[in-house]
Amino acid sequence: MKHFLIMVLTCASALLFPGLSQAASDNGPHPKNTLDKPVTVQDSKGTFTIDYRPKRIVVLEFSFADALASVGVSPIGIADDKDPSRVLPAVRKIIKPWTSVGTRSQPSLETIAALKPDLIIADISRHAGVYADLQKIAPTLILPSRRETYQDSLKAAAIIGKVIGKNKKMQARLAKHQKIMAAYAKQLPKGVVVQFGVARDDALFLHTADSYAGGVIRALGLANAHTGRNDSAYRQTSLEQMLSINPDYLIIGNYTHPSIVDKWEKEPLWSVLKAAREHHIFYVNPNVWSRCRGIMAAERMGQDLVNVFHGNQIAAKP
Amino acid sequence: MNRFIPFFIISVLLISLVVANLLFGAVSLSLHDVFRGFQPGSDSYFTIHEYRLPRTLLAILVGAMLALAGALVQGVIRNPLASPDILGVSHGAGLAAVVYMIYFPHSSISWLPAVALVGGLCAALILWWLCGHRSSTIKLAITGVALATFYASTVDFLMLIKPLEINNALLWLTGSLWGRSWPQITMLLPWLVLIPCALYLAKSLNLIHLGEDTAISLGAKVNSLRLIALAIAVALTAAAVSICGPIGFLGLVAPHLARKLFGGRHQALLPATMLVGAVLLLMADLVARTIDPPIELPAGIMTAVLGAPYFLWLLIRTK
Repeated sequence: MKHFLIMVLTCASALLFPGLSQAASDNGPHPKNTLDKPVTVQDSKGTFTIDYRPKRIVVLEFSFADALASVGVSPIGIADDKDPSRVLPAVRKIIKPWTSVGTRSQPSLETIAALKPDLIIADISRHAGVYADLQKIAPTLILPSRRETYQDSLKAAAIIGKVIGKNKKMQARLAKHQKIMAAYAKQLPKGVVVQFGVARDDALFLHTADSYAGGVIRALGLANAHTGRNDSAYRQTSLEQMLSINPDYLIIGNYTHPSIVDKWEKEPLWSVLKAAREHHIFYVNPNVWSRCRGIMAAERMGQDLVNVFHGNQIAAKP
Repeated sequence: MNRFIPFFIISVLLISLVVANLLFGAVSLSLHDVFRGFQPGSDSYFTIHEYRLPRTLLAILVGAMLALAGALVQGVIRNPLASPDILGVSHGAGLAAVVYMIYFPHSSISWLPAVALVGGLCAALILWWLCGHRSSTIKLAITGVALATFYASTVDFLMLIKPLEINNALLWLTGSLWGRSWPQITMLLPWLVLIPCALYLAKSLNLIHLGEDTAISLGAKVNSLRLIALAIAVALTAAAVSICGPIGFLGLVAPHLARKLFGGRHQALLPATMLVGAVLLLMADLVARTIDPPIELPAGIMTAVLGAPYFLWLLIRTK
């Protein structure tokens, strides 16, 4: 069926457009800066080898854009859900304008192909199903992003650094990151229980100790709340469950206004919460805290927490 | 003779939609580029040969299969509001797929179609086991709807307790042609054997349409015929759903439209339904890809947007 169709259509095209095959062969591959020694790394699908320095990179998650920007490399395409403002402001400041390749969940493969990338960085959680297709477009490095922890994210950044030929710069950036985070940690109290959650119109999802945000909170010397048995990274929580978790500080990212937290604030039970009693509820940008992930995102989160504990206003506007 | 005019029109529509599906997308190509895209090594080779062509063929296959299944079910149940959904097949497949995605998140996604297929077929077997060989169509329909609702609520429950998996599961459950290519078409090909089998049943389905008693007195083996027709519908639906997810309303709307255009004779209705189904899914996927590029909407959303009002209109009219 497939071959028959191709045959028919190729014959038709050959009849209609003589001299076509000539034209097609003019489009050779891109000039590549071949390396003396190919770079080999372990990605989520096994061994990934690349023998040139990629110049046209498409990333399908924000955390990968963060990793590239951390070493001053601009991706040509980002799966940004067609909303450039979802890319972390600090990242946007560094990278050049990019082409949106659609949503992170279903990126447009033809838009990616049209960009003629020489490297695609995909997320194992979202893009395993189209890994084979992506590889037909360009060599595809597939790493964890959506389910990743803070440590996973840093590891992924290190791998990306190697693949794009900026290993040294990335290692230096990661060392600087550790210093920045340690400096933030010094300004923060030890062991105070901080819980982050994103609030929608009808639900509050707590990001548990296993989540990215939970990892950043821990890395800053603060403590995660106990959110219950066999935690997955995000946990939908009712007001009553919130009371039993009862963290010292509650950090909320509102995806909508008014969110469920705004509704809960009017309930008598809410006032029993430790964080509510002591006015330790703060609002942050949910996009930065939940979607972005990455080196610069973690630093921004650290800055936000320092502001929280030092009583400074923080920008919660998305 | 008159019957051939709508056939001709719908075939022309199908062909123009195939061309449109190849031309348009996030990146619009010229006819010239499209032809070049069939040759390996050309610029648009991936876009055309690896992406748009398989997707277009898949839309035709899946659209035709789901629509044919719908026509068979409507023929057997003798109710224009019936569709493969009332057999619980697509919901069973959905439940199996969601369980697989939630409890085996690290296992290969390439097993998903097989798991969904088994889920769909199991759902049909459970229905058969509950209803038996000789039950009335009403019992069959009501049991099927009850089972489908049960599967759907189980899916909701699973997604509530495991919110992390919700995105992938929801994406699959809306039904989409995104990310499907030649391997998926190869998986569907063996099931096409069922299409001539279904067409072979056309004459007997006409008899059933006259009412059960009349059909029996005219020599039709109603019980076995019903079983065969439903089994074919189940297999077609399960196969299509396992590849693309449950694409809503197609099995309901396509046979209905076809009946309006071509009348109720199954010899004409069954092939016509397949054409209409293919046209509808091609249209839905074209709109889904081009409405707001580079955002890709699932085709299932588009068929639901078209199908739900049609269904409502049908409900109001049949009162």
